Amino acid sequence: MKMLNTLSGFIKERFPLENMNMKSMLMKKVVPVHKLSWAYYLGGLTLLFFIIQVLTGLFLLFYYQPTVNEAYDSVKFITEKVPGGAVIRNMHTWSSSAMILCAIIHFLTTFAMKAFEKPREITWWSGVVLIFITFTFGFSGYLLPWHQLSVNATKVGLQFIGAVGQYLPGVLSELPNKLIEIIQGGPSIGQETLSRFFAIHIVILPLAILAILGVHLLSVQLHGMSKGVSRNVEKTEPFFPNFLIKDFSLWAIVFLILFILSITIPFESFFPYPLTEPYNPLGSTPDGIKPEWYFFFLYYPMELLPFWVIIVAMGVLVVGLFLVPRIFQGTKRKTLRFLSWLAFAYFVIMTVFGEAIFEMIKGVK
Amino acid sequence: MKRFFTFIIVLFLTQAQVFAYPEFYEYSRKVSNRKTNCALCHSHGDGPEGLEPGQIGSLNKDEMEKLMRARSTFNLGSKVESPILNSFGNQIIFTLGKKKFLELKTHPQDLARELGLKSDLDSDGIPDSVEYLDGTLAISPEDGHPWKLFVSNLQKYFKHILLAIVSVSLLLYGFINFLKGLDLAAKVKGDNHETKKH
Repeated sequence: MKMLNTLSGFIKERFPLENMNMKSMLMKKVVPVHKLSWAYYLGGLTLLFFIIQVLTGLFLLFYYQPTVNEAYDSVKFITEKVPGGAVIRNMHTWSSSAMILCAIIHFLTTFAMKAFEKPREITWWSGVVLIFITFTFGFSGYLLPWHQLSVNATKVGLQFIGAVGQYLPGVLSELPNKLIEIIQGGPSIGQETLSRFFAIHIVILPLAILAILGVHLLSVQLHGMSKGVSRNVEKTEPFFPNFLIKDFSLWAIVFLILFILSITIPFESFFPYPLTEPYNPLGSTPDGIKPEWYFFFLYYPMELLPFWVIIVAMGVLVVGLFLVPRIFQGTKRKTLRFLSWLAFAYFVIMTVFGEAIFEMIKGVK
Repeated sequence: MKRFFTFIIVLFLTQAQVFAYPEFYEYSRKVSNRKTNCALCHSHGDGPEGLEPGQIGSLNKDEMEKLMRARSTFNLGSKVESPILNSFGNQIIFTLGKKKFLELKTHPQDLARELGLKSDLDSDGIPDSVEYLDGTLAISPEDGHPWKLFVSNLQKYFKHILLAIVSVSLLLYGFINFLKGLDLAAKVKGDNHETKKH
């Protein structure tokens, strides 16, 4: 009973009913103004990219065929025959990368600004779940064009899950392989896998993200923006309409940049080689199979370090992320900023120079 | 009759020499540092040998005849439609002729110069010969050097971009004024409420 009361008190404090009205969530809300104020726009930008993903994804759904025989050709048809299809598809792929990049920077700045402090724990936890969902979006969507690169990269990703089995005792060692079979829908990648990834990508993940995003945004609006810096912030601006106007102006600029990028540079032009045929299970695995750029920070260490190190590190990281409000309760913002910079530097180095580091250490080219 | 014809094709396949010239894509690979393959000129990425669509083993009678005709086109200017070549491969034979093409085998670096800058099969703004050196497909507008595509498409779609900028700016202007109007209305309503209270 005591535990129930504590839980009820915790929730009441995080979701105060008396503040759930337009006046306090919109009209009276203020945004602190300081040197890190730019970071307040990152969450909104991530949301913009998500909205673009949903809208362009709906357009793609009109033509995309989720079968192994038609998926590749339907994507080709969208790109080459459908009026505006190439732009829509490019907007979808460019914005997916932009969404992930924005989510990562938003996540790091939130940490640096100590925006996980009481009463914002639920905002933080929901944010952690959202970032995991965003990565899963990227992973599941990558398979859908069903070309050599996408299918083989998915295979590599799933192999890592299977490799966990060797470190598990007894019957549990079979669990990762069973999990792979559930994800794949069979012993190997095929139609069932494509169907499952399609369902995950267009139904399950969007529903999950909408539900958690709802909690996340409600929590943000209820408690307002965290002050972000250690000193007392004297200057503030009204959220409505001042901050909102700036936010939407930024959305407009970013949308235009995305549109120009999508109409001028096809995302596929960054692939290491042209993809002219659908995935052929009997064909040879092409050179240089690797996941999308946003997984490099995970992929190259996996290739370089013993797998158990990765498992331990991942376990600690995932648990640690949920415990952040507790672990860093008393930590100064200066230290948090330093840790954020460190994490960002690691992400950039692994993304940009990961391949070079891998080749240097392994001595391969 | 059909069986007989299939037998002839199989017999032909086992006996005939398959003509593939990897020197060109290997050179393209070397200069572009991209993992280019036979898809540069052939219908199939693995080259002409095999049973997949675009490979010799999959050809029917008419296509075999087309292939034979294409192989005997030794002079330039003859329109060829080899079923195992893509339109860039056919364009090379059309522009140079088979004889010249075979001569270039020993110095594939000259192919780009010989092709010139006129032809752009995929209309992406990058000439086919430049795409050969860049290791990108001359028949796909989605495949090309990113920066060159950016510059070329920026010119090509300049009006579209301008229209998008005008539309988004107008939409934003309207929306900002809508928000300001809402704010003003809320303030007036608040003031009226306060006055009534007093």
